[in-house]
Amino acid sequence: MSHLSTINACKLLLFRRCLQAVLLTVGIQFLLLTIFLLFVNFQLLRPLHWISVTLSLVCSMYTWFASIPLVGAVVLYGVILCQQHLAERLYCPTRFRWLVHYAPRKLLFLAAHLLVGYLTAWLYTGYMHTDYRHLWYKCYEQDCISAYHVYLLGMGIFAGCYYFVSVHMRQEVEIEFPIVNHLWGEKLREVLYSSLARSLIKSLLPTLAYTLLFWLFGGVVCHKLSHIFAVDLDERLEGFFGVATNGRLLFYGWLLTSQILSNMDLMRCFYSMFLSEEFPLAITKNRAAFVQEKEVTVVAALGLSNVYVVQCLAAKYLYNLVTAGDSEKRSELFQLTEPGNRPANWRSLCDQCLSLFGNFTDELIDSMQKISVLKGSPSSPPLTPISESASASLMAERVLTRQYNQMHGIRSMVSPRSNAVIDRPVDRIHRVPDWCERTSMQLEQSLQLLINRIPGIVYMFTEPEGAKTTFLLTHSLPLVFVIQALSQICVFSLTEDRYGVVQTDLPDIIRSMSRLKGELDKLSSVASNLRGPGSSFSVLRGAVRRSLFHICVAFGEYLSELIPSGEELHQLQTVINQE
Amino acid sequence: MAALSNLKQCPPFFALADPSFGANHIPELDNYPRIHVKGELHNSSAQRFYGGQGFVPVHEGVLKRIIRTFFEGGFWDSLAETRSEKTREQAPWLGKTGDYISQLLGIATTLKLKVLPHTHDLSAERIAQYVETRDWIDSDSTTQTLITCIAWRPLSVTEIVIGCRQGLCFWIVDNTMILGRTNSPSQFFKHPENLPITSMQWNKLGNLLATASIGDRSIIIWQPDSGLMEPLKRLGPPGSLLKWSPGNDWLFAGTVDRVFRVWNCHNHWTTERWTCGNGGHVQTACWSPCGRFLLFVSTTEPILYRLQFVQQTLLKSTKDEKEVLPIADLNACSADENRSLIGGPVQQLAWDPRGNYLVITFKSTNHIAVFRTFITKYDLQISPAYYLSGEIAAEHPSFVCFQPLYKEDERSIVTIAWSSGRIQYYAFD
Repeated sequence: MSHLSTINACKLLLFRRCLQAVLLTVGIQFLLLTIFLLFVNFQLLRPLHWISVTLSLVCSMYTWFASIPLVGAVVLYGVILCQQHLAERLYCPTRFRWLVHYAPRKLLFLAAHLLVGYLTAWLYTGYMHTDYRHLWYKCYEQDCISAYHVYLLGMGIFAGCYYFVSVHMRQEVEIEFPIVNHLWGEKLREVLYSSLARSLIKSLLPTLAYTLLFWLFGGVVCHKLSHIFAVDLDERLEGFFGVATNGRLLFYGWLLTSQILSNMDLMRCFYSMFLSEEFPLAITKNRAAFVQEKEVTVVAALGLSNVYVVQCLAAKYLYNLVTAGDSEKRSELFQLTEPGNRPANWRSLCDQCLSLFGNFTDELIDSMQKISVLKGSPSSPPLTPISESASASLMAERVLTRQYNQMHGIRSMVSPRSNAVIDRPVDRIHRVPDWCERTSMQLEQSLQLLINRIPGIVYMFTEPEGAKTTFLLTHSLPLVFVIQALSQICVFSLTEDRYGVVQTDLPDIIRSMSRLKGELDKLSSVASNLRGPGSSFSVLRGAVRRSLFHICVAFGEYLSELIPSGEELHQLQTVINQE
Repeated sequence: MAALSNLKQCPPFFALADPSFGANHIPELDNYPRIHVKGELHNSSAQRFYGGQGFVPVHEGVLKRIIRTFFEGGFWDSLAETRSEKTREQAPWLGKTGDYISQLLGIATTLKLKVLPHTHDLSAERIAQYVETRDWIDSDSTTQTLITCIAWRPLSVTEIVIGCRQGLCFWIVDNTMILGRTNSPSQFFKHPENLPITSMQWNKLGNLLATASIGDRSIIIWQPDSGLMEPLKRLGPPGSLLKWSPGNDWLFAGTVDRVFRVWNCHNHWTTERWTCGNGGHVQTACWSPCGRFLLFVSTTEPILYRLQFVQQTLLKSTKDEKEVLPIADLNACSADENRSLIGGPVQQLAWDPRGNYLVITFKSTNHIAVFRTFITKYDLQISPAYYLSGEIAAEHPSFVCFQPLYKEDERSIVTIAWSSGRIQYYAFD
């Protein structure tokens, strides 16, 4: 199966899931409307009438027709969300590049938020008290613009905008694997309960903020609208007390905001829920002629670096397969395949995993070179020679201080003396640049300084320190699963690998994990200063440390045969003893 | 059904002239640390200097101190600070205000308890009913109060987690660092409802931690590295005891009532509900190393029960019935000529990682019973082996646990924490 057909097969499957999510979100609109109507039409003394009126309203033809625009907006929202999930994750080093790449997409998504917010408000106001229902109303025998209606429509738009800014503006949409993988029905119930309950609280702040804004600028907006539509101005919401003392309006606004926030939150959760369902993958590449071409192997899916979701799903599939305790499924990994009785499954999986580790570690090392604290620091900092004249207590103090500083990432205020300076021969001949070269260098430096002084240039066109490292760490979820799965496979191979297919690759696996661990240890001192990837870093580091420890402990007796090199062996033995 | 009457006395470790002649002696035990908890507490080297002690306290105004306490420790800590002696001396009116607020809250709590009686306060006495450590209430600590459980993180030699009144405290015990040993935990997680943690268990891979609290009707599964958690709901009565099966397939959850549940972790966390004898709860439980058998004892009767998690028939029946079988009678009986008793209400069970020995401690008698176990694919056989005693008759085991095994040829070693503070290691065949 070619790379392109693998991508197409995976995207087709994910598209089906997105379609299911869209259908569910459309269905949820009617549930949310029912909840809203139950609140709005509440009658304590006539409960049966209350419920029957609500249900008849939901099932009426008006509702079905009036909700078509909202359903259309929800579908558009879903399509954009789906596209964002399946899009390639590109690294944008500067803010300018980020704007060029992401701004159109984000703007479109913002428009979808505003549309859903506006249409929800428009639909829901149709079921409210008559004062709130229409944009115009009769005041003193003349048409007036209804400030109540304007308030509620604005509330819808503001709620959509608020959700976009708080959830989607900076962050990319992420697939979330649940810690506890419940049955589908239970997941749905949990998501509904938590989202609805949470939104009731979360909507308080935007409601108050919008009310404040409406008090300040609502009059201007109403005036403009009345001018546009050539109707009279509504004076009911003028002044602070006009807005603040209207309990019913505030209640409607709060309810509407909570409905819009929960609607958007539910859509996000449904997409995440559907996309994180286990992906049907195969271990063995079936070569029979009649087999469907669309069967995707784990290895092929792991190789799809440009579809992040598929890579995550493949890694999770491998992790589940290995940790599920079913040795029969695992045995497929260790099988010898025809023709040639070669361990093709293991070979391809191991190569893919090692390539993932290697690429990630290389990129991480490159990115760490740009962090000023870590720039040029070797894997294990060499001890600087201590002069013979220093006393033992002074030496001990220096060692302890250095150890403390390294642990907490404290840099020395004085730049370290380079040994090269000491070793450099005194009578070395230097090339002296001619006057032309000197002038051009000075000119270049001054020009650079001048440009940097222009406000916003550095902000827009310079790569923030550690941005690449942050990007790599936030997208390290597939690696977390793969590392743990691979270490489990290695440990299980002791008892389940009858042909010894794993043992030839053990040194490479251990070395690549050890290399990654070394780099992450180096990064640990500055990880807290990097923006964003705090938990991603701890998850990855914890996974690498535990996986390496597991392999080293399981193969403790054979380590010296697997890793002949003295230094590496010593490091691994340290992992077992002190981690 | 096996019984305690056939137990033989194991030659006491201390009674042998040379411990290396003992049946349980292995050379590795010589390298194990010799610990006496009570001695360690008074050891001057244990009282280390921490960085925080080097700072000189500054003068702080009363209001500033209360506000700081509020942001650091929350509402209840700030209320306690308001009512403290120091505050009363500096600003008596604040102390009185604190008293009034406290009284009002007391009235509200009383009313709440009348409406919701199951939410009553989780005192140390109440927690002591459900923990596996004998005489737990006598233990004390200052920074972390009401410590109920401690666990090393699997596949890691430096991380330890402590379950206490304050929540979960994660510590890094790194002996390679001379400086930088801190006096504060590396991570700290509070229960979402600010309840004490009464039981916890790591899964095999050390990436998930399950916790239970006797005030909470759900089990919480934490992912400490990412700082995320998810509750397992519909437990029934509040949870008191957790045991993860060795292969991560099942999670046993005992409650404060007769109900207990077993969750199938690999099948969408579906759950099976069981009940034990009237008026009691599951005191202790343990999984067989293969994860197919669960042994437990309730507080109502000293009978060891077995629950089997394996399909016995080739053709799966429509109703997959599992059965709780009594396998050992643990009623107290005379252990030796001195008529010292062994048995009675069970305190704790521990099964060795090889599946050959089961260790049982009791609430009211001081000996440790050791049973031999033989596990086959569909069956479990148990027979009495011998019993272990302390150095003196009054010494009783407070807690026992087996060391995890990573190598094939390792011997199972049980660590016994005696009430005297002595830590003993015992190697099995």
